[in-house]
Amino acid sequence: MSTFLQQLVNGISLGSTYAVFAMGCTLIFGVLNIVNMAQGAFFMGGAYFGLEAAQLGLPAPLALVVALLGGGLLGVLSELVIFRTLRARGGHRWMGLVASLALARMLVGVAQEAFGTQVQRYPASPLLQISWEFGGVRVQFLQVVILVVSLLLMAALAFLLQRSSVGRAIRTVAFSEDVARIVGVPVGRTILITFFLAGALAGASGMLLGNLFNVVSPFMGEQMLVKGLTVIILGGLGNVPGAVAGGFLLGLIEVFSVAYVSSSFRDAIGFGLIFVILLVKPNGLFSSFEERRA
Amino acid sequence: MKRTTLALLLSAAGAIGFAGLAKAETPVKIGIVQATSGGSAALYGVMQKNGAELAIDEINASGKLGDYKLIGIHQDDGGDRGQTVNVFQRLINQEKVAVILGPTLTTSAFAADPIAQKAGVPVIASSNTAPGVPEIGDYIFRTSPPEAMVFPGVLAYVKKKFAPKTAAQIYGIDDVLMKSAYAVHKKALESEGIKIVSTETFQKGDVDYSAQLTKIKAANPDILVIGGLAEETANIVRQARQLGIPPSTVIMGANAAISNKLAELAGAAANGFVVGAGWFINYDSPTNKAFLDGYRKKYNSDPDTFAAQAYTSVYVVADAVKRAGGVSDLKKFRDAIAATKDLEANNGKFSFDEHREPVIQPKVLVMKDGKFTLATD
Amino acid sequence: MSAGFSQFFASYSNIIDLCLLNSLIAYGLFLALSANMFSLATGGFMALGAYCSVYCTMELGWPFAPAVLAGALLAAAGAALIGAPVLRLRGDYFMLATFAFTEVIRVIALNWDSVTGGAIGIVNIPRYTETWHLALAVVVMVYVVFTLRRSYFGRAIAAIKQDDVVAQSMGVNVFAHRLSLFVASGFVCGAAGALAAHLNFFVGPGDFGLLRSVDALIYPILGGVNSLAGPIVGAIFTTLLPEALRFSNQLREILMGALVVAIVLYLPGGAMSVFKLRRRRPQTPGGAKLAPATKQAQS
Repeated sequence: MSTFLQQLVNGISLGSTYAVFAMGCTLIFGVLNIVNMAQGAFFMGGAYFGLEAAQLGLPAPLALVVALLGGGLLGVLSELVIFRTLRARGGHRWMGLVASLALARMLVGVAQEAFGTQVQRYPASPLLQISWEFGGVRVQFLQVVILVVSLLLMAALAFLLQRSSVGRAIRTVAFSEDVARIVGVPVGRTILITFFLAGALAGASGMLLGNLFNVVSPFMGEQMLVKGLTVIILGGLGNVPGAVAGGFLLGLIEVFSVAYVSSSFRDAIGFGLIFVILLVKPNGLFSSFEERRA
Repeated sequence: MKRTTLALLLSAAGAIGFAGLAKAETPVKIGIVQATSGGSAALYGVMQKNGAELAIDEINASGKLGDYKLIGIHQDDGGDRGQTVNVFQRLINQEKVAVILGPTLTTSAFAADPIAQKAGVPVIASSNTAPGVPEIGDYIFRTSPPEAMVFPGVLAYVKKKFAPKTAAQIYGIDDVLMKSAYAVHKKALESEGIKIVSTETFQKGDVDYSAQLTKIKAANPDILVIGGLAEETANIVRQARQLGIPPSTVIMGANAAISNKLAELAGAAANGFVVGAGWFINYDSPTNKAFLDGYRKKYNSDPDTFAAQAYTSVYVVADAVKRAGGVSDLKKFRDAIAATKDLEANNGKFSFDEHREPVIQPKVLVMKDGKFTLATD
Repeated sequence: MSAGFSQFFASYSNIIDLCLLNSLIAYGLFLALSANMFSLATGGFMALGAYCSVYCTMELGWPFAPAVLAGALLAAAGAALIGAPVLRLRGDYFMLATFAFTEVIRVIALNWDSVTGGAIGIVNIPRYTETWHLALAVVVMVYVVFTLRRSYFGRAIAAIKQDDVVAQSMGVNVFAHRLSLFVASGFVCGAAGALAAHLNFFVGPGDFGLLRSVDALIYPILGGVNSLAGPIVGAIFTTLLPEALRFSNQLREILMGALVVAIVLYLPGGAMSVFKLRRRRPQTPGGAKLAPATKQAQS
């Protein structure tokens, strides 16, 4: 029983990092319908922004803000350099994929030049070494902190999208750019803000994951991008609550397929399940509403 | 970015000056095929490139080769096998190198080494530890000791000291190095009569091992054997202790885990970690001290086992150049490499055996307060 | 002269082989893309072709040609099997489902040691693939695609690409057309996998992952999905780029990315659209002609 509960804790903790990252992905891939493969590189970039800030002696919450802003900056950059130009020139949607992959490679190359290839870690803080044991189940203080921060970020995004004028603008653009133009929404600026939000979420999750698992490396974004794509498909494209639920779900699927089947087949089980889910519910597991583009 | 451009200009200027100097002397071209881009391969490709280039500079500066001047030609294969073959073909046929150091990945070696073998150009690997690499042909050598040479001694030590009955294994299933290390570990455990109670795997890029470790914790083994690179091993060790795998469970690692990164990333959790190695950073010898000083001065960081082995490879080459009297006859040069015996290297006396494998004295190391130290009893 | 040529060939033969092999793969993807199927199944198809053909030559002692055919057929069978359910999915959902296929194949390859050798892979594979095999395969593919585009089938595909709902209402069996293209794409990729396996003495599961699948998509997209020569141009460009940038090991990755971004931004219809732009400029300034492609891709 304690093993089961421990695995539950492991899964939720892993899932919280997936969820934050996937929220950013779903804003770009789903809401804006843009394929941005550089999202993983923003995640990596955020982790390094946070690391640099932490090494300069900034306290963790401020370092997280730096990671947020840094990731957001990269997101804005990608929109201004690539996607805006591509839209203006009537480029194919697939060209965005090629360009953003190239951008991701460039960012990885820059990180490698600037910080080296070796894995780095965040400065150790005694506060983060604390862990509690409840009947054989270990919970680290850090895990709790990261879960809380993740939930706060999710709540902030939900509030922003549902209650603010920016959120209304984003939802209008997502519905139709033409409609948005007619009702006077500044489309270009709204898309730019969405890119900032998505980049910021990627950057923040980079720092959270980097802290939780003690890993910052130029190559950390690639695997995360795959997880992010998986989660947003699970949750339904453009569905923010779905991305959150999908994130936790993927964390739990991964952990429990290791726990009760085999670690060698973890990814095959994960993807096999997704394959089946897609066949049964082609618009994602949490597609209660009629999917926009179906 | 500015720094990079400057470095680039400097190195270009250096290369020009270098070429001008080399004209007066007899050049010995050394191809260095190491991945410095393209994901996790770059992790140990960069280290080996650093080690080899340091050794080349040292040897040229020392003047011990007389008129011969070593010229390192580094080519990045991006950890991609197709590119490794491209680079090998060009180094052999166009640059006419005398020897190739590398490649970084064993999978690249299987594809590219046959080309060098066919052309009669010696290859010395410093990170390919999987079985079957020197078997490609009589021109293929390696300075990296295969796991089978190191691990049984480590296990014998652990068995004598802790008398373990059960073991758990965790290894990187998609990494050639680690998959072959796993097979060696398994065989050694079985021949020592230690029961394997749990076997788990992970993949490149994984950072969360808690699910596997929770399973291992439930199996309650006496020892935990990790088949992973230094960065992976460090995280596994740290997470294992965090999840409450008790200190009574001795954690052992593969040869590739020898790196100061281990202590840096794992912190106090790494204490008591046991590993076997040909080389380790605190090995006390004048040659190793010179290596460490040189490396730290040039790169401002600590070398790892891969850097050390690449460094040794270059000294093997220099030694063979001297004994063969140049590289105009590659067959003679190859024979000189094969005859390497008791060369004073950074891990003690270095020789090749008849299978072109390194002969080294395996050392059993225990992590104490963030430092690898020789196991005493 | 001939000595110079043989040295050139010895230095660059593998690059030539890779250019041809990647062109072949690019046409495999071109088939899928011509009906808007953004497939990431390439890695899986190539793995099926590679492992099957190596099993045939090394374990069963078959000659090379039937082994390649067996590999290609197995991959085509795989495509038919997953195609039926997966083709119902749209856009990004299709992309992820095909990627799931590639991952599942890769994980099986990692674990099925007795056939695939696990991560260590299969070594000492005889080198049967000759440069002319690859060249012939590319020529055949170009001819097939050329003929196909002019046939009734090709026009039906073009209609599906424009708008599959309209095509359906005009009596085109959208599902059957897409499935046959997907299977053909699987066949080509499987054959490419079999040829690749017998080129470099070695295969391993690492060859057939996401990276392989994404690269395969980049070739035709970068070259231009509307042009017959697009795939070959994209494949050769992408294969030569890392070699051409060897003068700087430090900045190689960064320069490579920058060049690709530049091409995408200046030729948003793919490299081959450079000719179209020039021809059409008198009537329609800029690349406005390409705009409809964006709309239908978002459908």
